[in-house]
Amino acid sequence: MPWRLLRFALNKKHPEPRMFTFHEKLKASYDVVIIGGGGHGLSAAYYLAREHGITNVCVLEKGYIGGGNTGRNTTIIRSNYLTPEGVQFYDESVRLWQDLSEDFDLNLFYANRGHFTLAHTDSALRTMRWRAEVNKHYGVASEVVGPEVVKEAAPMIDITCAGHSPILGALYHAPGSVARHDAVAWGYGRGADQRGVEIHQQTEVLGIDVEGGKVKGVRTSKGYISTGKVLCAVAGSTPRILKMVDVKSPIYIHPLQAMVSEPVKPWLDPILVSGSLHVYISQSARGELVMGASLDPYELHGTRSTLDFVEGLTSHMLEMFPFLSNVKVMRQWAGMADMTPDFAPVMGKTPVDGFYLDSGWGTWGFKATPVCGKTMAHTIATDTAHPLITGFSLDRFRNYALTGEKGAASVGH
Amino acid sequence: MPANALAVSPVADIATLPDPSAQKAAVAKLGIADQSLTPRHGCKGPGAAAWLESLGLPIPPQPNSWLPVDGGGLIARLGFTEFLVEGPATLIARLANTPRSAGVYPVLRQDVALLLGGAKLDELLRQTCNVNFRPLDLATRPVVLTSMVGVGVTVIPELRNGQPAVRIWGDGSYGHYLWETLLDIAVELGGGAVAPHSFN
Amino acid sequence: MKIMTCPLNGPRPVSEFHYWGEVRPMPNPATASDDAWADYVFNRNGAPGLKKEWWCHTPSNTWFIAERDTEKDVVLKTYFYEGDQ
Repeated sequence: MPWRLLRFALNKKHPEPRMFTFHEKLKASYDVVIIGGGGHGLSAAYYLAREHGITNVCVLEKGYIGGGNTGRNTTIIRSNYLTPEGVQFYDESVRLWQDLSEDFDLNLFYANRGHFTLAHTDSALRTMRWRAEVNKHYGVASEVVGPEVVKEAAPMIDITCAGHSPILGALYHAPGSVARHDAVAWGYGRGADQRGVEIHQQTEVLGIDVEGGKVKGVRTSKGYISTGKVLCAVAGSTPRILKMVDVKSPIYIHPLQAMVSEPVKPWLDPILVSGSLHVYISQSARGELVMGASLDPYELHGTRSTLDFVEGLTSHMLEMFPFLSNVKVMRQWAGMADMTPDFAPVMGKTPVDGFYLDSGWGTWGFKATPVCGKTMAHTIATDTAHPLITGFSLDRFRNYALTGEKGAASVGH
Repeated sequence: MPANALAVSPVADIATLPDPSAQKAAVAKLGIADQSLTPRHGCKGPGAAAWLESLGLPIPPQPNSWLPVDGGGLIARLGFTEFLVEGPATLIARLANTPRSAGVYPVLRQDVALLLGGAKLDELLRQTCNVNFRPLDLATRPVVLTSMVGVGVTVIPELRNGQPAVRIWGDGSYGHYLWETLLDIAVELGGGAVAPHSFN
Repeated sequence: MKIMTCPLNGPRPVSEFHYWGEVRPMPNPATASDDAWADYVFNRNGAPGLKKEWWCHTPSNTWFIAERDTEKDVVLKTYFYEGDQ
């Protein structure tokens, strides 16, 4: 390291500003306590402070910021869903994403790439036509394209997929994008911190006190907090928190794994997803191929990785891109996905007064980070569900009024 | 031929045989033969064992074991109440044409049936299957139900001319994939496709 | 590789098995209230813990029960279903 740089680094006159203020202690009470310092929780804190003037808020994080599913997803952003509720909700999210870097004064490396969902069967193509029509009706850019368009956008693809499952067409979604996922959490965290929100990392929630059907306080590993409003935004830990307030839900946890290859020269611009082959792939700005597959096949509350996953994913990947056979896998990891029966989230108020849920984000939560924060902040501030999330309420199950997103949520379900 | 037998093997169009001298060389290392056209009968249910016994067949007492049948063939017990019978066409025709008792349900057998054997068999099994066949006691006539290159299979290990061999049954719709994959490995190991009688 | 022991076929890699969720008693559909039925159809015991689960060894189609710690992914025992208790 050059001497001048080292001297600069050691000089206390020019300290590197920290992203967040470190708070020694919790206060005795807050207006709102947010459990979970991932993108969703920090985003809710940010919009509570910025749009509703509620700043006496603390965010509790068991580990470190963005260390859960925020930092474990494959960073894909899109809004080509299947139900009217889903399309409108995710479309609002994409709009928010587009201005977010400026909003934060932080480069999120938001890159608009275009997104192809490949169809290998007639029935898949039918679902895509349906999705395209719903999307267009709500002003979202989606169209069904032929295999020649896919080949032009990704010339390295074997359009027959080794002869096993030829690509018949695709749903093309021009706004499909990727972004740097950690930066999203940092941006929201810094913005919330600057507006007075306290972020407490390494602080675990041990219990939630409910009296007469109302939230009274939160017990944490760093002491007791009294509060009337709690937001639970903890993805794979949702069932544990729900147990503390004795609320039943259909949420179940399966791990979702992903992996990246060694960096290679840029060759893949769009994001490609194949439901039949259970793969999705995009190339990051660093040149790594970011790849994912379907859920792990059984319930598990842990983030171990398996060789079965790598073998299954690479065998399908090689059907699409045989030339990748010499590319090495560099890292693999897992996150705990909070799945729901209809592949739509569970958001809003609950049977416990003052206890709000932002959950059921399964394998599709990253892209919704901005709109979740915005709508949950509104829901908490006004104690009324935001109009965009009424289709995602917990009581839709009791009323047999599901919001079926299975055809558009992710791959291999 | 029984009415329910296959007219054409699921791998008929790809299981071509090299000339006899090549087959003789292959079978020493690792031969792979198609036996899909052997007549067979499947049935299951709580009444299956008693019904087969009433027709004069021996019943393997242990689940996942097999017995030879007088006059040629075998009867394999797959789990508790399911059976696979292979043998002469007359025997299979009799099973297919005899009205079934209560609690006996037919199982459609459209298997791809293969016979693999040779000195390099264990190397192939280790690459394709998670079961270690070496410690199995062949005297107990074991039947192994497992997954081979991702396909659910029934396997009977045995000795043919002093060399290890396995009989494999799998769903016929996976026939091409199973044959091509196993043949590729057999060829890598110095073996290849052979006629079933090469093992005799 | 994760090993699951089928009570009939013995220890095998978990890829030979299919997971079918926790063993749950079904309320009588003729007499259950709509709420009780919705609770049975949708709600799950999602928190981690020691659970009794249905598993199937797919090559042999053998269904059985596994008692498994869903936090540590440790299978404690496997056995055949012995009816509702």
